[in-house]
Amino acid sequence: MIKRRSFLIGAAAGAGVLGLNGGRLLAAPSVLSSSVQLMPREGSGPRIVICGGGWGGLTAARHLREEIPEADVILLERNPFFWSCPMSNKWLIDVVDTAFLTHDMLAPAQAHGYKLVHCEITEIERDKKQVRTSRGVVDYDYLILSGGIRNDYEAWFGNDQTAIEQTRRNFPSAYIPSSEHIALKNKLKNFKGGVIVMTLPPPPHRCPPSPYERACLMAWHIKTNNIPGKILILDPKPRIAPIGAGYKAAFDELYPDIITHVPNARVKSVDPFNKRISTEAGDFDFDDAVLMPPHQASDLVWRADLIGKDAEGKPTGWADMHPRLYHANSDEDVYIVGDSMGAISPQFGHYPKSGHVANYIAKIVARNIAQRVRGEEVVAELPDNLCYMLVNGDPLEAISVEFLYDVGPDGLVRQTQIDIDVRTPDLMDEDFVWIKGMFDDFLV
Amino acid sequence: MTSSFEPDRRRVLLGAAGAALGAALPLSGARAQELATTAEAQPDAAESDRIAAEFLGGVAPLAEGLAMELPATADNPAAVPLRVHVTEALTEDLWCEELIILAELNPLPLACRYRFSAATGAADVALRLRLIRSMEVRALARLSDGRVLEARAAVEAGVGGCGM
Amino acid sequence: MSRPPRLWISSATPAKGEIIRVRVQIQHVMESGFRLDWNGAPLERNLLTRFEARLNETLLMEWEPGASISQNPYVEFAFAARESGTLRMLWLDDRGMRLEAEREIILSPA
Repeated sequence: MIKRRSFLIGAAAGAGVLGLNGGRLLAAPSVLSSSVQLMPREGSGPRIVICGGGWGGLTAARHLREEIPEADVILLERNPFFWSCPMSNKWLIDVVDTAFLTHDMLAPAQAHGYKLVHCEITEIERDKKQVRTSRGVVDYDYLILSGGIRNDYEAWFGNDQTAIEQTRRNFPSAYIPSSEHIALKNKLKNFKGGVIVMTLPPPPHRCPPSPYERACLMAWHIKTNNIPGKILILDPKPRIAPIGAGYKAAFDELYPDIITHVPNARVKSVDPFNKRISTEAGDFDFDDAVLMPPHQASDLVWRADLIGKDAEGKPTGWADMHPRLYHANSDEDVYIVGDSMGAISPQFGHYPKSGHVANYIAKIVARNIAQRVRGEEVVAELPDNLCYMLVNGDPLEAISVEFLYDVGPDGLVRQTQIDIDVRTPDLMDEDFVWIKGMFDDFLV
Repeated sequence: MTSSFEPDRRRVLLGAAGAALGAALPLSGARAQELATTAEAQPDAAESDRIAAEFLGGVAPLAEGLAMELPATADNPAAVPLRVHVTEALTEDLWCEELIILAELNPLPLACRYRFSAATGAADVALRLRLIRSMEVRALARLSDGRVLEARAAVEAGVGGCGM
Repeated sequence: MSRPPRLWISSATPAKGEIIRVRVQIQHVMESGFRLDWNGAPLERNLLTRFEARLNETLLMEWEPGASISQNPYVEFAFAARESGTLRMLWLDDRGMRLEAEREIILSPA
């Protein structure tokens, strides 16, 4: 058995090099060719390729293996290990440590029998039902795009790469796992005083209540260390939302001399060299900043050519997808899971771009693909969402928002939002229970 | 490529799951705005005035001593924050017996009624109102010495339902 | 979907006579009785009918809310901490729901 498999892998790799590269790279190991077949098919079932190993992708991989044991599930992920954005604000002030956020991805791959390949995805060729990666080409029967978001710096700077680089390096957004989170934490620890500006992305954006949480916890650090610093939140929205009353109480009562919330402050221009930002609510100079540019669907959705268009034919920035079945409108075999998802309903727009929703949708998509594979009826299911937001460092007090969904008689999804504005320690306790349940679902 | 994994007839059960969920969900939040309602605004403050007169029992209210915090514009008419408090110090010998909040043009203008005791030592409350339209909000507080304090404020509420 | 009342107090160890601020919020539909379901039938009224707060057995505040009170009712009130004891809160609604919450208040020595 082992012998036969070794032989087959060798044969496939060899064929790739000779067939596609004409022997040009014969000197290098064949696996270093991006044209080689990434992996031979295994199992009697469909091959399902998942692009992106975050909350959505890891969840989909596990549940697909459980729903369809004969499926060949391949998870493609660019990062070397798992870093959780949920709870990362709390990590800024050491409520949790780095080990809490970082996780081994090999363990769940081994436990559930899917293949994890660390690579960069370079092209998605839906016409050929294959994905090109830095490690080779992989074909699929079903494709799941779960790449999260990309920072739309172009909205501020066009193609001025110098300004983008200056902004990313000096005033990182830290909304996508990378060095940026660590840079932000170091920035905070070394902060000696002055004005920190925080730009909030316009909706829809990743984790809507979390920029305010970040402001609170940074302010808590500033307050407890008696640093002469201020935080200016430049919010494109007319008011704090969600959990507006709870956040306002925290700002006014816990950080009255530190946090200033500026509504209707949509960014007009950013000068990262002279540390100046121009908004519809005025111009602001800053000493330091957390510059969060607008968010849009991950590169993957753009590469797959599945971005929606608005009435004027301009890209919406988000996936053009079925709001109840989560596959692309133009390609039933490609599913979009998590933050890249497009609008769901005219009543509320997008599902909250949260880890909770990505996990929930991934499980639904796993069931829906299994139903298709078995020739069963596909049952449309709805997620819910739950966010706990820490506003105080001592005692640890959190507020929360819950979203519930159902379908109206017109067939459209409707949202019910429940803000809990009273900050309490028990909400923080529930947050830990919540994330343990999540991690147990896709990281174990 | 293996096409045998495609279901032959792909029927989609849209709505079935949703309907089941809908039955279990509270009817609340933003979606409530879509439900038809028989709630109608009061044509004028007459009903509110009647309730106020009953509360006053012939006592002339004082315009000082009761503070009201209400936003001039309600971003969300389904949850308009309101704080009302008696500004003078309350003691075991002087307390606020009863406090009512009137949303003058709501279908039922009496929004709520508070009662306190000599043990409370304060009369300071906050709550959230849902308002059917722009209107005046009125608060009346009766102290243990017989005085009645009054406060009023107007709030501009955007068009659209308030989930009532 | 049943979740406990969320309770915040400004101090659990106040000085004697200190004014304590209390905030509590529960999840409740506050169905007004005015709304119609999708078939045009009225939705049965289900409002919170009563909230009360006591320190030990002593009544601090009682509240009778009506249809004008928002969903997931938020209650904030203040009282003077004149003795140590248990702050007890109670919610009742039209359908017989009964929710309780409590918190110990211990006066700090002067």
